[in-house]
Amino acid sequence: MSTNISQNPAERLRDAGLYAPGEAVLSVRDLNVRFNSENGVVHAVRGVDFDLMPGKTLGIVGESGSGKSVTSMAIMGLLPETADITGSVRYKGKELLGLSDKAMCKHRGSDIAMVFQDPLSSLTPVYTVGTQIIEALTVHNPNMGKQAKEARAVELLRMVGIPSPKDRLKAFPHEFSGGMRQRVMIAIAIANDPRVLIADEPTTALDVTIQAQVLEVLHTAQEETGAAVVMITHDLGVVAGMADDIMVMYAGKPVETGTVEDIYYNPRMPYTLGLLGAVPRVDTATKQSLVPIEGTPPNLALPVNGCSFAARCPMVSDACLHGEPELVSVPGSEAQTLGHKAACIKSDELSGNADAHKIFHAPPKPVSKFDGVERLEREKVLELKDVKKHFPLLKGALIKRRIGTVKAVDGLSFDIREGECVSIVGESGCGKTTTLLEIMEFHPDQVGEVVIGGVSNKVATDHKTKMAMRKEMQMVFQDPTGALDPRFTVYEVLAEPLENLGMPKAAVKKRIMELMKLVGLQPDHVNRFPNQFSGGQRQRIGIARALAVNPKLVVLDEPVSALDVSVQAGVINLLDKLRAELGLSYLMVAHDLSVVRHISDRVAVMYLGKIVETGDVDDVFDNPRHPYTRALLSAIPVPDPELERTRERIILQGDLPSPLDAPKGCNFATRCPVFAALPAAKQEKCLTLEPPLAPEKEGTQDFACFFPDGELDADMLVVHA
Amino acid sequence: MTNIIDPIAEIDETRVADQDVVIGKSRIIFRRFMRNRTAVAGLFIFVALFLFSLFGGFLTPWDKETLDPLNIGMPPSPDHLLGTTQAGIDLMALIVDGTRTSILIGLIVGGVSVLISAVYGCTMAFFGGKVDATMLFILEALIMMPAILVVAVATSGSGGLKNLPSWLLLIVVLLFFSWMGTARLVRSLSMSLMQRDYVKAAKYMGVPSRRIVWRHLVPNIGSLLVLDFTRGITGAILAEVAFSFIGIGIKLPDVSLGVLIGQATGQVSSFPWMFWVPLTVMFLLTGSLAMMNDGLRDAFDPSSSSIGRAKNKTAKVTNK
Repeated sequence: MSTNISQNPAERLRDAGLYAPGEAVLSVRDLNVRFNSENGVVHAVRGVDFDLMPGKTLGIVGESGSGKSVTSMAIMGLLPETADITGSVRYKGKELLGLSDKAMCKHRGSDIAMVFQDPLSSLTPVYTVGTQIIEALTVHNPNMGKQAKEARAVELLRMVGIPSPKDRLKAFPHEFSGGMRQRVMIAIAIANDPRVLIADEPTTALDVTIQAQVLEVLHTAQEETGAAVVMITHDLGVVAGMADDIMVMYAGKPVETGTVEDIYYNPRMPYTLGLLGAVPRVDTATKQSLVPIEGTPPNLALPVNGCSFAARCPMVSDACLHGEPELVSVPGSEAQTLGHKAACIKSDELSGNADAHKIFHAPPKPVSKFDGVERLEREKVLELKDVKKHFPLLKGALIKRRIGTVKAVDGLSFDIREGECVSIVGESGCGKTTTLLEIMEFHPDQVGEVVIGGVSNKVATDHKTKMAMRKEMQMVFQDPTGALDPRFTVYEVLAEPLENLGMPKAAVKKRIMELMKLVGLQPDHVNRFPNQFSGGQRQRIGIARALAVNPKLVVLDEPVSALDVSVQAGVINLLDKLRAELGLSYLMVAHDLSVVRHISDRVAVMYLGKIVETGDVDDVFDNPRHPYTRALLSAIPVPDPELERTRERIILQGDLPSPLDAPKGCNFATRCPVFAALPAAKQEKCLTLEPPLAPEKEGTQDFACFFPDGELDADMLVVHA
Repeated sequence: MTNIIDPIAEIDETRVADQDVVIGKSRIIFRRFMRNRTAVAGLFIFVALFLFSLFGGFLTPWDKETLDPLNIGMPPSPDHLLGTTQAGIDLMALIVDGTRTSILIGLIVGGVSVLISAVYGCTMAFFGGKVDATMLFILEALIMMPAILVVAVATSGSGGLKNLPSWLLLIVVLLFFSWMGTARLVRSLSMSLMQRDYVKAAKYMGVPSRRIVWRHLVPNIGSLLVLDFTRGITGAILAEVAFSFIGIGIKLPDVSLGVLIGQATGQVSSFPWMFWVPLTVMFLLTGSLAMMNDGLRDAFDPSSSSIGRAKNKTAKVTNK
C-alpha cells in the first residue's frame, strides 16, 4: 500500500463504512481462455488469478499477445462464443462466468464498466453524445425520469471536464476530438457508479498532452465513484503513477505480481527487469544502450514446457526448461494484500540491485566517427529554408469558396549535419508528417527550398538529378506491416531499390546478404514473406530496404511506435548502431519523447506548423524554455512510481485549435499556461505580436516565446501528493 | 519475378511453412473455404452441373434434333427421363445443351469482363487527372445506355451480325455492359492501394510508376477479382435467362435455359415438367454460385472471423 498518499479513495470509503475491508470486489481464479486459429487452438490466457480490492487500482502490464485484453474481455463476458473459457470470475462473490448474455447485461455497465482503447470507434456516429450517455442510464435505471437522466448526463460530462456540458449533450461524436471522445467514454462507463472500471489501454491512441488529461480524468472518476480500476496497458509509465498493484503478464500467464514499489524497485523476474530496462527515460540524460529482450514470445498454439520466458531469458538454465514455474511468494517480502510473487526459479538471484544491462548483455553505446567533430564543421546533408505548405480550406458544393488556409507547415528552416539525429516532436496535427512528406516529395514547385546533399529542389528538374537525390535519402515508415508489400519475399523487397539503380544480379544478391546481416536478420530468411516475421523483424527489413542504396540521410517516421516495448529497444539499439557504423544522419518524427531523448542529438518542437523551440536535446529537455515544451515534457509519464506521484504536471486545457481560428500573435496563446497567468497588459503582446525563434544567449536552444520564465497558471498544474 | 532459386533454401522454405507458425496463404484460403459447408456444397453442385452439361448427352440416347413421334408432350417416363416437348424432343437432351450454353456464356462473360475491368480500372487510377476523367466519363455513359434495347437490336439480326451464332452475339453484347461496375471498384481500390506505405516507399526509391502498378497494384487486387469472377458468372447467366425469356437473347436453333423456360411458361399447367425442370437447373446453377461466393468472401477476406471453434475437439486433432 502506498504510504505517501495520505488518504486514498479506498480508505475514505472504508472510513465511511461502505466496505468491509479485505473483501475483494472482483476476484478471478484460474482463468483460462482458448481460441481456435488457423494454427490450432491457442491457449491465450493460462491461469490468471487476482483479487481486486474496492477503490484500488490494479495495473495489468504486458506486451501485445500476452493475454491482458483477453482477460478483461473474459471478465466482461465479451468474448465470442467460439472461445473456451474456464475458471472463475466472481463479482462480490457472485460467479459471472457461464452467465447468459442477458444475465451478464445486468452487470455490464452497472457493476463492471469498461473504457475501450479506441475512442474514435467506440461511440456511435449517428447519435448525439447525450443520447448515448442517457442510453447507458436508461438500460440500468428504467424508472429514472427524463429530467433526472438529463441532469445526470450533464453532471457526468462536467465530471470528466467537458466545457459547457449542457450544450455539448446535443453534439455528435464527430464534433469532439479524440481526447474529448475518450472523456465521453469514461462518462458513459461511470454513469451507473460501477464498482469496477476496466480501462483497456485507454490512452494508447491519444497524444501525450491529451493522455495526461485523460489519465487525470480517470483519476477523478475513480475518486468520485470510489470504483476499483483495472488498468490494462503496455506502457510502464502510465501505470506507475496510478496503480496500487501491478500484474505483469507474459504468454498468457501472470509472471510477477506485487505492489508498484515491489515491481518497479525490486523486480524478481527477468522479464520485468528487462521491460523496465527497455524503456528509455525522458527525465535522465544517460547515454546508455537500452536493454534488448531478444526473440519473440512463445507460440501459444503449442503446449508450453518449462518457463515460457526461457527462450528469451539470459539467465536460463536447464532447470528452467523442465516444468513451468509457479507464481510463488518472493522471499523477503512482507505479507500484503497481494504479496510480491514471481514465477521464476531464480528470483532469489535478482534480489537487491540487479543490473538489467549486465544481465541482458546490453551492447555498449556505439560511438560515431562524427561524434568528436564540432557540429558546425560537419557537412550539411539536409537543409530546409522557409518551407511552407498551405492547404486551402474550401466550402460549397458546386462553386468552391475559399474560407481559410490550413498552414500545415509554415516557414520551417533547419538543417541536419552529418552523423546526427534530428527529431521533430509535437502533437498530431502539428505538421511533423507534412514536413517529412514535403522533404520526400522534392519538387521544384514547392514553396521554400529543400537542399539534400547539396542538390536543391529548385534546380533538380531532370530525372537524373532526382535519382541521385533519391540515393542520398531514404525513408523508414511507421507501420512495418503496411510498408512491405505482402506479396513480395524479403529478397524482392530488398532487391527493388537495387534493381532500380541498374545493379547486376550477382551484386544485388551479395548486397542483400550484407544487408540482412547488417540489420541482424538471418540471411537465409530472404525467401520468406513479410507475414512470416514479427513486427520488430519487419521493421528491420524496412530499415534494410532504406539502407540498400547507401543513403546519407534516413528519414524515420515514428519508427518504433508500432512496436512492443521489448522489441522497440532492439530496434532503437540497431538504429543507434547503424548511425555510428555507417555515419548516417537521421531525421526522425516521433511522438514518444523518451525515445526522442534517447536517440537524438537535436530536437525541434513543432506547434501548428511552426518550430517553437529547437536545440540540443539535453538543453531542450533539461531546461525547456517554451511553455509548450514544458507542458509536453511534463505530460510524459515516467516509469518511477515515487517520482510519478510527487512531480507536478502541467495539464494543458483543450486540444489543438482549429487552423481556422488560429491566433494572430503567438500560436500557443489559446492553451498557454503562462499566458493564462499573465496580467492583461502583457497578454496583449502575446496576442498581437509573433514571437521570433531566437536563442536567449549564445550557445543554447532557440525558442519562440516572450515570457519563457513566466509563472504557470495554477489551474493547469496538478500534483498528486 | 526475380527470386534466387536455391534448392536448399527451397527445402528450408517448405520446412518452415510446414513447421508451425507459418502457413501458406493459399492453404489458409483453402482451409477457410472448406470450413464453410455451404460453399463446399455450392462448389460440388456447380462442378456436378458442369460435368452434366459436358457429358449429360450419354445419359439419353436422344439428341435435341431428333423427334420422337411416339412420345409427344409426354411426362417423364423410362424412355425419356425428363419427358418430351410438345414437338417430341427429349427434354433431357435440351437441358444438357441449354445448361452448356448458359455455363459457357457465364464463364466467358464473367472472366473476360473481370479482365477488362481490371485493366481499365488500373489504368484510370494510375494515370489519374484528365485520363481518369475521360475514361470515367465513357464508363458513366455506358452505364446509362439502355442495355436491353441494344441487346434487342443486336440479336434481331440487323446489320452484318447475322452470321454469328446467337450465343456468341449475346456474349459480346453482355460483355459490353458487364464490366463497368467492377472497373469502378478496381479504380477506387487501386487508388487506395496507391496510398499504401509500400507504394510510397517504392515511389521514394524512384521506381517508375508503370513498374509500381504492375508489381504492387495488380497482384494486390487479385482477391477482389476472384470474387468478382464468380459474381460475374451469376450475373451473365441471369442476364441470358432474362433476355432469352423475353425473346431477345438466344434464338433457336440454339437452346439455353432461358429459352426453355420462356417457351414453357405458356403451358405450365399442361406440361409442368417443361417449365419446372429448366427452372430448377437454373436455380441450382445460380444458387450454387451464390453459395460459393459467401465462402470465397470468407476465404479471401483477411478480416474474416472464420476460425472455427475452440471447443471443437476435432479441430484440435486435425490441426495438430
